[in-house]
Amino acid sequence: MDRLTRIVSLATAALLALALSSCAPVRINSYLERGVDFQQYRTYAWGPADGLSTGDPRLDNNRFFSERVERAVNQQLVARGFEKRESGAADVLIHMHARINQRIESDAIDREYARCDVSDCRPFVYDAGTLLLDFIDTRTNQLAWRGWAEGSFDGAIDDQDWMEARIDDAVAKILARLPRDTSRSR
Amino acid sequence: MGRRLLCAAVMMTGFVVSACATMQVSSHVERGLDFSQYRTFDWGPPDKLPLSDPRLDRDRFFRDEVEGAIEKQMAARGFERSATSQTPDVRIHYHASINQRFDVREESNSANCDHDDVCPARVIEYEAGTLVVDIVDQRTDRLIWRGWAQGSVEGVLDNKGRLRRKIDEGVTRMFARLPRAQ
Repeated sequence: MDRLTRIVSLATAALLALALSSCAPVRINSYLERGVDFQQYRTYAWGPADGLSTGDPRLDNNRFFSERVERAVNQQLVARGFEKRESGAADVLIHMHARINQRIESDAIDREYARCDVSDCRPFVYDAGTLLLDFIDTRTNQLAWRGWAEGSFDGAIDDQDWMEARIDDAVAKILARLPRDTSRSR
Repeated sequence: MGRRLLCAAVMMTGFVVSACATMQVSSHVERGLDFSQYRTFDWGPPDKLPLSDPRLDRDRFFRDEVEGAIEKQMAARGFERSATSQTPDVRIHYHASINQRFDVREESNSANCDHDDVCPARVIEYEAGTLVVDIVDQRTDRLIWRGWAQGSVEGVLDNKGRLRRKIDEGVTRMFARLPRAQ
């Protein structure tokens, strides 16, 4: 391969990697404890870090990741009428947990959409990320609400700008599911 | 439907390209921080994660090589190792781990490839080594920079020459990303 071909193919790879992220949509889910009236919560605080491994040494004890999540959550909650307090004086404590797993996909998509022949049906591997936010009622010490996002995080850790954009996006989508009647806040 | 086809095509091509597993190096940094305020460094206490691989943990050769490579890179950027009686501006600690990872590798046997030279690919499992280097502001006790290098350690752990070259390459490439002290 000559140099120009190499450069062109590297650029193509980069573009493809970017395009790829739009192919793997983020899946958002949430869970509300039965009988919990979420409207009663007005103040929140951050719970202590869980100290669990994220499954990826690049993210363990990485405040560039965890503080970005906190920042994004703070912005979303303030916009929804919550007030941040020091722990001990809040209605809910928030815990976050992040996990990275490598996933293997076989040729299912190729078979379905591209009708590939055997040599074209390629397995692929990617880093999948899960970001989970727990809201604990400080009076009952019970989980009141849990929301999470799952999706491809492939290549995101190695690119700080992109990682931050992915975090902001995931947090916004998770917290959009909070059972919050915004007309009643403030 | 057309978009889905495109996506499927993108996925196939993208992952074929990523299959060439070379060393991955990158970093995170505190934005807007003036790194020229830091002049001296020292080694910090190891982090609390007990996840290091025992093959690296007890390996004096590995630790000497990593610390030597980092000290060389810091010196090249104008940092000085602080005297034992003095408080350094930054502390450095590092963490090495080995994880099982998967990759897609193409069969290079041309008999199985079609006329466009597209060869069958399969998933392989390999051992990836990750070296994470943290630089912490001594005064604020906050992480200001983290660099890492990740790559296959196949045939590396039991070969001192290869191990030394891998460490040197990883540390050199990650410190090339450190904001310059003036």
